[in-house]
Amino acid sequence: MTTDKPKITRLYTLSSQNRKYVFPLPLKNTIKIGKRQYEVKLKHDEKFGTYILWKNRKYPVEVIRSRQNRYEILFNDISYTFTIETPFGYKRMKVLSKQKGKKEKELIKAPMPGKIIDVLVREGSQVLTGEPVVVLEAMKMQNEIQSPVNGTVIKINARPNSTVIKDDILIEIKVEV
Amino acid sequence: MKIKRILVANRGEIAVRIIKTARKMNIETVAIKTAVEPSAMYLLFADIVFDNTDDDSEIPVFLNIDRIIEIALKTGADAIHPGYGFLAENAYFADKCLDNNIEFIGPSPDAIYKMGNKTIARRLALANKIPMAMGSEGNIKNEEEAVKIAEKIGYPVIIKAASGGGGRGMRIVRKSEDMEKMFIIASREAEKAFNDPSVFIEKYIENPKHIEFQILGDKKGNIIHLGERECSIQRKHQKLLEEAPSPALDDDLREEMGNMAVRLAKAAGYYSAGTVEFLLDSDRNYYFMEMNTRIQVEHPVTEEITGIDLIEQQIRIASGEELKIKQKDVKIHGWAIECRINAEDVQAGFAPDPGKIEKLNLPDDDYIRIDTGVTAGSSIVSSYDSMIAKLIIKGRDRKDTLQKCKLALDKVWIKGVKTTLPFFRMLVRHPKFINGTFTTSFIEKDIEQYYYNSEYEEMLAAWLATKLYIEENLSENSINLDFSESREINPWLLNKRFNQF
Repeated sequence: MTTDKPKITRLYTLSSQNRKYVFPLPLKNTIKIGKRQYEVKLKHDEKFGTYILWKNRKYPVEVIRSRQNRYEILFNDISYTFTIETPFGYKRMKVLSKQKGKKEKELIKAPMPGKIIDVLVREGSQVLTGEPVVVLEAMKMQNEIQSPVNGTVIKINARPNSTVIKDDILIEIKVEV
Repeated sequence: MKIKRILVANRGEIAVRIIKTARKMNIETVAIKTAVEPSAMYLLFADIVFDNTDDDSEIPVFLNIDRIIEIALKTGADAIHPGYGFLAENAYFADKCLDNNIEFIGPSPDAIYKMGNKTIARRLALANKIPMAMGSEGNIKNEEEAVKIAEKIGYPVIIKAASGGGGRGMRIVRKSEDMEKMFIIASREAEKAFNDPSVFIEKYIENPKHIEFQILGDKKGNIIHLGERECSIQRKHQKLLEEAPSPALDDDLREEMGNMAVRLAKAAGYYSAGTVEFLLDSDRNYYFMEMNTRIQVEHPVTEEITGIDLIEQQIRIASGEELKIKQKDVKIHGWAIECRINAEDVQAGFAPDPGKIEKLNLPDDDYIRIDTGVTAGSSIVSSYDSMIAKLIIKGRDRKDTLQKCKLALDKVWIKGVKTTLPFFRMLVRHPKFINGTFTTSFIEKDIEQYYYNSEYEEMLAAWLATKLYIEENLSENSINLDFSESREINPWLLNKRFNQF
């Protein structure tokens, strides 16, 4: 046991929608709502798998993935991504986010695996928000992928008739400021 | 001809559905075992299972006309039920069945052909004075003609594939500058999907409701309708929820539209079960859209409110029986809603989420009907559709049905894949869905959040994430912490599932 490290008294759990939950340590199996404490139970059985029991109701839970301090949790069929920070990490993160300016480059990624049917822009093309840039076929459906920003196409990785996997970068756009 | 043995040329829930009715009628069934789903649920219900697992053809067997005919002949089936999708609306296949003295449980090849080709169907509807959106008389030859006709009708217009269906090859065009590009995309898509690049143009009806009429006809020319279904809750033309009757129709409009559906079916010489689809605008004008010449996914809601088993009627009609139900016998009782529970990720734009279903607990009650082809341990494979189960709720009226639906949705428990459940939980609480004024643009325009979560759900998820983080990162060797509570818990595996503790 080391004693030179600072004692962590709480953890900041931040949702992808920027909601902040603070959990004092040691983590309790109760959560306070208003004046009452409610018990949270994590359980597992053959019929239901892993679930959380809260106010007499079962909620299915699964961990979809975890990497370092990021966790994707499926809770009652909805997925949530959290970043967990120590008080020190949380402070540093806040400072960093203030320094960071606006995004300069937008990467358009494949939202799902599929096949590129058509590329509707060229390198150098000016695009507007909502303008279709790529036609991707997945599960027999053709999907138009639209530009989320105004800007100029600087790189095209998508080739017609090639197959892509989820999150493959299809097009890079220099964001207009 | 009395049917004695049916080959079910389909899989999944519809194969189970067909087999159940055949059993009730003391008809034997043959199911096809494939290498993709060798332990599928539908195989357990059939009297005879044909093992096709060594088929190394590139085409899935359910699309392989010659192979299906061969299997029917080998297994002594005297009829084939195609279900929906696959070969259900293939006129050539229906014809091949007849050539081989096998009854095709569906309409005549001629009726499939006529209604399957949208330009022929349009002409037939026009000749029979069925209300229709203004459009091109036939297929459009090139971009120039497309622009010319669109100018005449007035924008917005919709380009549709002549051989199309299910929303493929469709493009909405709002201004003439886009016409050329959209024409090329639509035509190319049509060629790829249906082997036929021909497209036509129609006036685009803004924010309509999708209302379809179930019809039944026999080989002697008797045709009736079983009322409507409303299927306006759809995303990219893929239906998600259907209900019967529609909150938008009254008895007069139902009778009028129903009669139009019957008139069109008569003109096409139609028999078996079929569906005539209309668009209904906000001024209660209706327009014929297309006819589907098969049993549809959403057929249970009609069965629930009319008490008529549509598969049974299809089989009886195919064996040459006269339709015993007259129009005046058709009575609508109560309300029914169907939720299509698919393995899709609602938060990722309904992207398919294939995988193994780890746990499956479905509610059971008098007001609940579940049509499914999977059990816990089954897999949703990417080569087929993403359907897990159809949750069908029956109630006294719409309000009662929605209330029951809300309860039932909380009792469906599926683990292993993401599902459309959170979407339906949102839908049954949405004011516009509750008041019945929603249209086909509902999902695109009226929804702020595609899913529903009750208060504290995110917080509970955050608690779990935090608990896991502590287990993994803040072990007592690295940090000075008291883990008295967590120490009772054994470490668990993180690969999607935990160990029991």
